[in-house]
Amino acid sequence: MSTTSVSATAASAHLLQPAFADPVLDAQRSFRAALKALAGPGIAQSLLSAQIPPHLEGLASASHALCLALLDIDTPLWLAPKFDTQAIRANLTFHCGCPIVSDRQNARFALLDDSQLHDLSGFDLGNDRYPDQSCTLLIQLPSLQGGRQVAFQGPGIETKNHVSLPLQEAFWEERESRNDFPRGIDVFFLAGSELMGLPRSTQVAFKPVLSKGGA
Amino acid sequence: MTATSALSSRPEHAARQHWIGVLSRTRRADLLTHEPALRDAEYQLIRAPEIGMTLVRGRMGGSGAPFNVGEMSVTRCVVRLADGRTGYSYLAGRDKAHAELAALADAHLQGAQQAHWMRELIEPLAQAQAASRSRQQAETAATKVDFFTLVRGEN
Repeated sequence: MSTTSVSATAASAHLLQPAFADPVLDAQRSFRAALKALAGPGIAQSLLSAQIPPHLEGLASASHALCLALLDIDTPLWLAPKFDTQAIRANLTFHCGCPIVSDRQNARFALLDDSQLHDLSGFDLGNDRYPDQSCTLLIQLPSLQGGRQVAFQGPGIETKNHVSLPLQEAFWEERESRNDFPRGIDVFFLAGSELMGLPRSTQVAFKPVLSKGGA
Repeated sequence: MTATSALSSRPEHAARQHWIGVLSRTRRADLLTHEPALRDAEYQLIRAPEIGMTLVRGRMGGSGAPFNVGEMSVTRCVVRLADGRTGYSYLAGRDKAHAELAALADAHLQGAQQAHWMRELIEPLAQAQAASRSRQQAETAATKVDFFTLVRGEN
């Protein structure tokens, strides 16, 4: 860190706390879990308690671990108002070095809570040439269960994976309307120490009785 | 480490830059003599000592176009004392224990005991460093050769 940022962070230095106990291996384990979550959409992955960073106020341990594993100086982060606290800003800036942006369009990662899911506008969907430049959403939920059951189909899923994420209808509509393969957004759902992946390639089917053409 | 002068406008910054500069030039043995006193406080490692690389840049003659000299290994560490003071260190080399002690010294130097630590730790080290630097410069100066051109005989 340069001298400039040392003086800039001096004001919030008292908010800093330790991150991963083993920065290299714990980040690699978390990254591996994220990789498996995206490779098998709809299957919850758990982080081992030994690889979880110390509790950071406002963040679930899976969200915190994924932030530490995925963010660095090249990945601008957008924070939902709920997560835009001094402690989260100070610690993510210090340990990840990531810029925190106020404009969704500039973000490579976004940390959202369930109050934001009716509006996913503004996030970068990538372009046809570089679809990988899209913004990845980290969505923290109270739980990965308890909602209406939907079926995931697509790459990485043999037949169907049934999930019951506690999400409103509006989220699925928002996602569908921004899915223009290969452009689109990839999502991680995070609750406690568990995470679940929903890449853009996954088709979401609702139960036939309640079908609204979500697939 | 040379880019600090631009930021020294505020006196407390200048003072901290001075002692961080002194600490960064210490040898491990210099700090080991103070180790019991430095560690005699409750503290936690915000960033455990870690080794990395940094690119060293230079300017020919101090004012030419910048060029990359090469990479060097550095060790950095951040500690926080129980009362919230946070100490940073960046040292050349790969000595983690040294980096931790230097970070602890920076944290102690920001507190009420600042005068004590300046007197006990920083000032003797700064004097020793200045003495060794001037000795080095004197040795180098003794080998200096002033070339001059004799008037060339033309016949």
